[in-house]
Amino acid sequence: MEFTLKTFIFYGFALITIASALVVVTVRNIVHAAFSLMVTLFGVAGLYVFLQADFLAATQVIVYVGGILVLILFGVMMTSGRLEMRIHIERGQLLLGGVVALALLMLLLTVIANTPAWKNLTDDGTELPPTTERIGELILNGPFLLPFEVVSVLLLVALIGAALISRKEVRD
Amino acid sequence: MVVPLISLILLCPLAAFAIFALLGLGNRSFPRQDYLSTAAMLIGLVCSLLLLREVVPGPAPHTVKWISLGGVTFSMGFYLDSVTVIMLIVVTLVSSLVHIFSMGYMHGDPRYPRFFAYLSLFSFSMLFLVVSDNLLGIYIGWELVGLCSYLLIGFWFEKDSAADACKKAFLTTRVGDVGMFIGMMMLFTKFKTLSLYGEGGIFALAASLNTGDMVWLSIAGVLIFCGALGKSAQVPLHTWLPDAMEGPTPVSALIHAATMVAAGVYLTARMFPILTETSSLVIAYIGGITALIAATIAIVRFDIKRVLAYSTISQLGYMMLGIGVGSYVAGLFHLTTHAFFKALLFLGSGSVIHAFHAMHAHDDHDEHDHAAHGDHDLVHAHGSEIPPDQDMRNMGGLRHKMPITFVTMLIATLSISGVPFVFSGFWSKDAILGGVLGRAMEWNSVHHYLLFGIALFAAGITAFYMFRLIFMTFFGEPRNQEMHDMAHESPKSMTVPLLILAVLSLPIVNILWFNEDYVKPPEQPHLHTPQHAYVSPDSKTDKAGITLSLFGVSEAVAAEEGGHDTHGAHADDGHHGHHGPAHTIAMVLSILVAGLGILLSWMFYHRRSLSAQSVATTFRPLYNLFWHKYYFDEFYDGVLVALTVWKARLFAQFDGTIVDGIVNGVGTVTRDFLAVFIGIFDNRVVDGLVNRVAEVTWAIGGRVRRIQTGAIQTYLFVVLAGIVLLILIFRVL
Amino acid sequence: MTLQHYLVISAILFTLGIFAVLTRRNAISILMGIELILNSCNLNFAAFSRFMTPPEDISGQIIAIFGIVLAAAEAAVFLAIILAIYREFGSIRPNEVDTLKG
Repeated sequence: MEFTLKTFIFYGFALITIASALVVVTVRNIVHAAFSLMVTLFGVAGLYVFLQADFLAATQVIVYVGGILVLILFGVMMTSGRLEMRIHIERGQLLLGGVVALALLMLLLTVIANTPAWKNLTDDGTELPPTTERIGELILNGPFLLPFEVVSVLLLVALIGAALISRKEVRD
Repeated sequence: MVVPLISLILLCPLAAFAIFALLGLGNRSFPRQDYLSTAAMLIGLVCSLLLLREVVPGPAPHTVKWISLGGVTFSMGFYLDSVTVIMLIVVTLVSSLVHIFSMGYMHGDPRYPRFFAYLSLFSFSMLFLVVSDNLLGIYIGWELVGLCSYLLIGFWFEKDSAADACKKAFLTTRVGDVGMFIGMMMLFTKFKTLSLYGEGGIFALAASLNTGDMVWLSIAGVLIFCGALGKSAQVPLHTWLPDAMEGPTPVSALIHAATMVAAGVYLTARMFPILTETSSLVIAYIGGITALIAATIAIVRFDIKRVLAYSTISQLGYMMLGIGVGSYVAGLFHLTTHAFFKALLFLGSGSVIHAFHAMHAHDDHDEHDHAAHGDHDLVHAHGSEIPPDQDMRNMGGLRHKMPITFVTMLIATLSISGVPFVFSGFWSKDAILGGVLGRAMEWNSVHHYLLFGIALFAAGITAFYMFRLIFMTFFGEPRNQEMHDMAHESPKSMTVPLLILAVLSLPIVNILWFNEDYVKPPEQPHLHTPQHAYVSPDSKTDKAGITLSLFGVSEAVAAEEGGHDTHGAHADDGHHGHHGPAHTIAMVLSILVAGLGILLSWMFYHRRSLSAQSVATTFRPLYNLFWHKYYFDEFYDGVLVALTVWKARLFAQFDGTIVDGIVNGVGTVTRDFLAVFIGIFDNRVVDGLVNRVAEVTWAIGGRVRRIQTGAIQTYLFVVLAGIVLLILIFRVL
Repeated sequence: MTLQHYLVISAILFTLGIFAVLTRRNAISILMGIELILNSCNLNFAAFSRFMTPPEDISGQIIAIFGIVLAAAEAAVFLAIILAIYREFGSIRPNEVDTLKG
């Protein structure tokens, strides 16, 4: 395929995503890791854009970066003192984990490379209409109404549960 | 008619007992046991009298199979002949009268219903014994009457003497019963049956034995006679009977005078056909000796019931003697007459005791205890204790106080003493004496002459001591004024039986039964006339049977002895009443000795022209011999009992030292050695094995549990590694 | 830009997430790894939706949205648990939380 700007940007996003994820899993300072994770999440959001999933990308940024990441940072602040900011890593564990992870990666790559149905599916670059309206139709007035409601209840339960668990006097 | 009647006779007393037993032996919830038992006996009496007619056609066994063991079948059945009927009547009659008497005598006893239940059981057992047609049935009845005797002697078991007496009676008779059982087994091994009558019965089979078996048959006969020896209290097993007087007096009258003790005689009579010359002689000798010994002992007794007890033994000896010499009819005749007059004597003595006893009851405020009161007892110089209400030395002059008792007892005494002609005892005793003399003359046998002498002497003594009893009790001055004042005539329930029995002591009643051809002695195929014997041609031709003539009775009975051992004796000429010389001589002699005995008694105890004391002093050794009852009890105590105790001690010692030693030794070895080794093995090997297993498990667990780190990341690592490996294995390989 | 490009990026993110979960000695770091894994999944949903279905079918994207919602809920509960553990053990090191250690 020809090397266009679009391709260049795609590889850029991919690189940012993978590199920042690498930082997330390797850096010793947990605050650094958290911020690196933010970069990764942005990178994934960019990849969504390339997949023409505009609503999904926006949701990714709003929910992940605006919600989950802030939550994680709060968690870091509430549980870690100054010393705890440094993530303790054992060398042997690192090695074993690396081996397993690498083996898994090889496995996945083998599968990806050898699955015939997935080959030669190229993004032809056609512009698709924005998805927000259709998603709204599907969720609120379509086949996904029930899952949507179930998920909303799940979210509510998770919120109440989280509040309950994290209360101080819960273990009375 | 025969079987239903016999069944009724047997079932009535059994039902009376069963009703009582089912309602509980102990409680008094069935207070009318006395009426029930008495009614049962009266029904039995009526049935027995009805049977009297049925027998004439001849014996008729009614047999049913009872049990089969292996190839042998035991049958149970009735055998009915004239003797059976007579025994049935005697038993039911005496039993009925004793029942009625007991209603008065036992009144107020705490175990009153139980007494009648026992009497019913006894009556059933006795009747069963009488009607059985086989040795097994007889043996069953035999042991049952023994049991009832035991229960009734020990009826007042609170009294030690009664408890001892019932044990003594049971054990002593058991000695004889063992012999009887062995005899039965001998017959059984030989003949494979215990039935007596019929084609395959013992008698038929025994008749065909040849002379080579005579020794064996004699031994068997004597062994069976051993049972009679114990039951009929013959020397040397007689010692239980005087002690049995510890029981209530009606029991003494019924069981230990009239019926049960006569069962021995009855058995011997039943076994008559298998008696040989030897066994007959043994029986005759034992009977004769018993008659003499018991009579002499009776002379010196002061206990009114003991005198009668020894008198009973003596009279039973007479019956045995009669059967032993072959005077079958005379023996049974005496059994019958004796049953009545001895029951009368006992009931009379019971009446006397009852009269005295009322005073005791008054004194002691203890109406229920008829037992002797030890603290009142006159302890005799020789140590034997006599209850004061039975001690003749406390009596005297009672004939005015108790006229009915006096008259009836006098009749009985005259009867037993052999006062001629009017009283039945004379005829039956005379029949025996005549029979003995007849046999002696017929065989010219020294044995039988000797036996005749003994019997004659005993007859004289009998008259003597019986009148001694009468004189001491009813004549003279009251010796114990206090007791005399309290005495009174007994109530009607007691005097009526006395009167009935007194009538029965008259000969006419008995002759009704022992009439001609009614009682026929069975053949004795093995009683052969000794070679040297002189056989009187007169006696050969005598007809068996009894004339209705009063004079003829003894002679006819005696004559029959001579007849039955010669073949075809019963046949032929119908003429009877042939007077053999033996019977006349016997009669004259017996009248003489009886008169002499009565005269001496009168002189000693009424006129007191002779002093019993001085005579006793003069013949001190003889007196002591009589007083100590020939030292039989001392002999048994000193030898048999001591031997048994010594043997028991020896065994106890053996048990204590050797058996216990072995057991203890084994125990010690086990505990000190075996157990130690086993303990070591247990501790080391077994426990070691268990502990090793536990330790290994523990160690493995200790190692293996390290896998469970609790660290979530480790788990996750393993899970992922597993997934990777699995995929690799299934996808790549 | 083929499907395989996205799949490879997703696989790398997934592997890195696994690596973080396996090796990091901090509960929050583990949470970050889990978020990486979830992101890789969502990326796959979006990519398959883009390449494997007709253009007008966007079900894959909706599933991915649901996944984001689940991730949010999961993060909330996870952090609540972490807070509770912290109060209980005074640490959020997973290897020190070993009550179940055999």
